[in-house]
Amino acid sequence: MADQNTSRRRFLTATGSAAAAVALAGCAGGDGGDGTETDEPMDTTEGGMETTETAEPTERPEPTTREGYLQRANRLIHDEAPWVFLHRQFSVYGQSDDIEWQPRTDERVAAYAIEPATDSGDDVVMTQSQMDSGLDPQDHRETPTDNIVLQAYEGLLERDAEGAIVETLATDYQRLDETTVQFTVRDNVSFHSGDSLTPEDVAFSINRIVQEDVGIASPQVDQLLGVEGAEVASTDDRTVNVNLSGLNPIVFASFATYCDVMNKSWVESNDGAYINQNMEGTGPFQLSNYEQGVSVEFQRFNDYWDDEAAISTFTINAAGEASTRVNRLVAGESDIAVNVPPQEVSRVENNDGTSITAVPSTRVIFNAMRYDVEPFDSPLFRQAINYAVDLESIIENVLQTFGSATGQPTLEGFFGYNPDLDPYPYDPDMAEQLVEESGYAGAEVELVTPIGRYLRDVEIAQAVAAQVDELSNVSASARQVEFSTLVSQVTTGNIEDKPPWYLLGWGNATFDAIQTIQPLLASDGSLTSYSNDELDRLLDEAQQLPSETN
Amino acid sequence: MGYGRFLLKRGVQGVGVVWGVVTVVFVLRFITPGSPIDTVAPLDASQETRQRIAEELGLDQPLYVQYLDYLAELLQGNMGYSYISSIPASVQVFQKLPATLELAVAASLVAVALSIPLGVISATRRHEPADYAATSFSLLGISTPNFWLGIMLVLVFAVELNVFPTSGRAYGFGQTLAAITGPEPFFTVATAWLASLFLPAITLGTYFTALITRLVRSGMLDELSQGYVRATRAKGLPETLVRYKHVLRNTLVPVVTVLGLQLGTLIGGAVITEAVFAWPGLGTEIIRAINARDWPILQGSLIVIGCGFVLLNIAVDALYAYLDPRVVAE
Repeated sequence: MADQNTSRRRFLTATGSAAAAVALAGCAGGDGGDGTETDEPMDTTEGGMETTETAEPTERPEPTTREGYLQRANRLIHDEAPWVFLHRQFSVYGQSDDIEWQPRTDERVAAYAIEPATDSGDDVVMTQSQMDSGLDPQDHRETPTDNIVLQAYEGLLERDAEGAIVETLATDYQRLDETTVQFTVRDNVSFHSGDSLTPEDVAFSINRIVQEDVGIASPQVDQLLGVEGAEVASTDDRTVNVNLSGLNPIVFASFATYCDVMNKSWVESNDGAYINQNMEGTGPFQLSNYEQGVSVEFQRFNDYWDDEAAISTFTINAAGEASTRVNRLVAGESDIAVNVPPQEVSRVENNDGTSITAVPSTRVIFNAMRYDVEPFDSPLFRQAINYAVDLESIIENVLQTFGSATGQPTLEGFFGYNPDLDPYPYDPDMAEQLVEESGYAGAEVELVTPIGRYLRDVEIAQAVAAQVDELSNVSASARQVEFSTLVSQVTTGNIEDKPPWYLLGWGNATFDAIQTIQPLLASDGSLTSYSNDELDRLLDEAQQLPSETN
Repeated sequence: MGYGRFLLKRGVQGVGVVWGVVTVVFVLRFITPGSPIDTVAPLDASQETRQRIAEELGLDQPLYVQYLDYLAELLQGNMGYSYISSIPASVQVFQKLPATLELAVAASLVAVALSIPLGVISATRRHEPADYAATSFSLLGISTPNFWLGIMLVLVFAVELNVFPTSGRAYGFGQTLAAITGPEPFFTVATAWLASLFLPAITLGTYFTALITRLVRSGMLDELSQGYVRATRAKGLPETLVRYKHVLRNTLVPVVTVLGLQLGTLIGGAVITEAVFAWPGLGTEIIRAINARDWPILQGSLIVIGCGFVLLNIAVDALYAYLDPRVVAE
């Protein structure tokens, strides 16, 4: 049975890529005439595809670098189309003219980056959609809590606004050998209590995440995958060695995302409930008031190791309703409103003293198509669905331009992004033709979408289903389910439990292709809807090599 | 003796109610899709991580074991810990309770202050313009959805006119009292407290006002046609005394019942109003707990609300006895 499946899969893979080459070449030729009427990127899309696809995939030389393998993996995924590639979600903020601030790609809001533009910009209030799930910096993994925790806690490494790795509590980091990396801990750093930061605190903080007997069952443990533990290498040199189970190409990217440093003696002398309601970090702000589920207030920490923060106080509160967040901004009660949905944008823009700031986020929105069920077991059919979706129209009309089209799982600017791949163009004729060739003409498909989990998820799913339904030989509909229902189906580890076609979003804070492709598309991925031996091989090869950026 | 037995009976009933609530929530766990682990663990968490979190939260046990464990803990006064924040459920729930109580009491005050005069006017000037105005108002109040009214009040009075804050709770009643002696200027604190309470109280109180206005009107009309009214008038009592000492007092018996019971509904049913105003009370907490599958918090909230209902019922019965001595005789 398993053998049959494998051989069938191999066969489909082979025919799929051959047909794709033909199909894409045909499309580029046929589209040349009216291509001029579409916008510029579309035009280059066609050109790019023609040149890249005329070469047979088998003729490509084997990549030599990790980046090369990941780019090849992205190409394979683009061609095989296990997803309907949708868009990169934008983070949209409303902000007051009292402050100067640029949002970050990773969706985290650091008050340290805010500067007052007027006198009243010295005390800044931010309204986000929900409050923290406790103040323990190592016992969460979601943006609302990140935003609260990162004001007071810092890691060894951090990211700048564009996502590049920068040093914070580490002054140096290097690989000693395949299974060891070393951090040098910054000197003259003090915690908010006045205690000095020691290498021992750093080693303890790492172990608290990865070793349950040291700390807690931290949800961040998968973020530091392969990290076995840390120990102080030299107190004089302030070095900490981190032991890995094997070569981990993205170990520094991981440390730049999660691993806040805590004060060892403070953690050991307090219980979990206390640690969840108090903060003892080294960050630019210290906690001044915490009302659980209501608000968190910070004040500037004057003994900060770097330049002091530009604003005196920073308050974070929450309102689940987007309109309430915008109300607070417009009425001047709040200076930053997080997650302004498209329908509220004009209210912010038309109001005196507030404006909209948008930045591409680290989240990609897609529709997974299970490779093992009809009709999605045909790569031709999956490509057809991609051609049937008018992505530009969805981004313009449903998202009011707050999104950008994607044609691969990896986002632009991430390690492993393939710049030669462009989004599938909207071509319903091609789609109908591919459906015929796939042998699944007359198929009925249903797209499952969560309700309200991602920006306009239901509307996007309905638009996708309606556009696919427009094809003469496919009928499609959208079905809404509660997010937790979908989660319980996609996280079981069995592909059979998943719906055949579902909308999902994926945030990847490591800025590395592997953290998207591995869990979602590799045969052994925890959430996978796909299996392809060549893809698995490319990923394996990529994980044998260090990233050049390290 | 009779009163003690009455209280005892009610106490036992209350325990029964709480037990029922806990049991219903546990049964709901069966049929609710999604697990708290999905909220705690990231989407791509490995099965091992999920297992570890399940063990830490005690979710790896069969449901009946969890149920019995929970009941045993509850008997010792422990409502468990939040799955999300690890804070004791009792702490988290009782932190939120004052905001909700404050809102419910304020809404009731609004309702009583408006509805009784409106109802009396309406009944004593039956079929006059004042009556029509009052009945139209109550019809409008009953048929206006809470959330819509809330949103409109915010748009007009907070966003456009900037008279009240748009949402949230600036200070609590306790903080306001503390400001009398505390370092913060009392007047500023009290104003901010009342301002943030005003729109939510109006929103929540409107339906209630309309309901009681109707109740007072029909009750009063009913009483006015009773024989004793004619007797008191014949006795030469001034009309105001007839109306307010005799008729209104008798009318208030059903009003107090409804008021007490509605106060219970207000505590548990302020969910929508709290959501519109981002009011940090039990309603907001319940929504959050349901979305996050944070069962200990949901159970804790429902236990507190259940207890509230029971206590209010007892209080209503006691008041009933005071207003209508015949109740005691029965």
